[in-house]
Amino acid sequence: MRVLVVVPAFNEQAALPAVVAEIRNERQRLGIDIDVAVVDDGSTDHTSEVAYSCGARVLRLCRNLGIGGAVQVGLRAALREGYDCAIQLDGDGQHPASEITKLIGALSQSPAPDLIVGTRYRTRDGFRSTALRRLGGTWLRVLLRVVAGLRVTDPTSGFRLYGHRALKLFDQTYPYDYPEPEALAIASAAHLRVAEVPVQMRERQHGRSSISGIAAPYYMLKTTLAVVLSYVRNRRRAVDGEGK
Amino acid sequence: MTFERYWMFAAVCVFVALFLVRMVVAEQLSLQASLSFLVLLVLGATVALFPGVTSWLAYRMGFTLPSNFFFSVLIAALGFLHLSALVHLSRVQQRSVTLTQELALLQEKVDRAMRAIEKTSAAGRS
Repeated sequence: MRVLVVVPAFNEQAALPAVVAEIRNERQRLGIDIDVAVVDDGSTDHTSEVAYSCGARVLRLCRNLGIGGAVQVGLRAALREGYDCAIQLDGDGQHPASEITKLIGALSQSPAPDLIVGTRYRTRDGFRSTALRRLGGTWLRVLLRVVAGLRVTDPTSGFRLYGHRALKLFDQTYPYDYPEPEALAIASAAHLRVAEVPVQMRERQHGRSSISGIAAPYYMLKTTLAVVLSYVRNRRRAVDGEGK
Repeated sequence: MTFERYWMFAAVCVFVALFLVRMVVAEQLSLQASLSFLVLLVLGATVALFPGVTSWLAYRMGFTLPSNFFFSVLIAALGFLHLSALVHLSRVQQRSVTLTQELALLQEKVDRAMRAIEKTSAAGRS
């Protein structure tokens, strides 16, 4: 099995060495063919050089596209180079590479899920985010349930595994800013099988979230509209001829 | 019934049209992008020089005052131009994102190929 771990990174030179080293340790422990691709999203620091010196592949975007554009380019690389699946893991150290095994393990379910989301809300351990963020998460959960008929507990989690059908779908379309809940709506509209596995997360090791202050209400408004519109727009999108 | 000609408004329309043409010549604006605006300015100048046409159209379409008709048409035309500019901008943005991604993928391929060539030539030398 060939797996590409996609690490979107914007000015993450401080956190990256530990993140890449953790993934490489996990590769040795699991004995799976895991490659690491750091997507440098137009960083102004030495993110690319640091990632390269750590032994990762580096996809360098010449301008900042935001998290969605960065993730999509990694997924495109995985699809074009024939990887069996891709795993999205944040470059700020929030997602422990040791949890990758849980995402890969979920592929053995029958039928195999196309998109597996690591959720921090199914266990009592680990970092669970602030109360305000959890409130926002609850709203998105209800929204996805009502609009897309999708039951997920952690719609904003960026720790995900994309199977082949998900790679094909997101090669065609992927939301650009604050993409996680919207991507779930698109997956549901395109009839992908979405599953969740409990994982532990940490607080970010370096840097700060882009969703704070005045960006928070904008995020909620934009995401709410985007989830509804993306679901409607993608209902007719066919993946392997299974679209409506 | 005689109508006063609005020379000043016509002159402003012509002046703005000439300014747009100058931008097209200087390649700051494409002809395709400016064409709809130029047509609007020519129509504006025509209306200013032949206001009788506007009055006739306004009364035919149920407007009490020709000025109401004039401003309604102008607002609608500018709204349409703005919407078409937004559509164009969205397309350009989407293409720009795709190009940036393709460039990153190609750049990585080139980097890997260059490193492989360097390795091979270094092995050949030793």
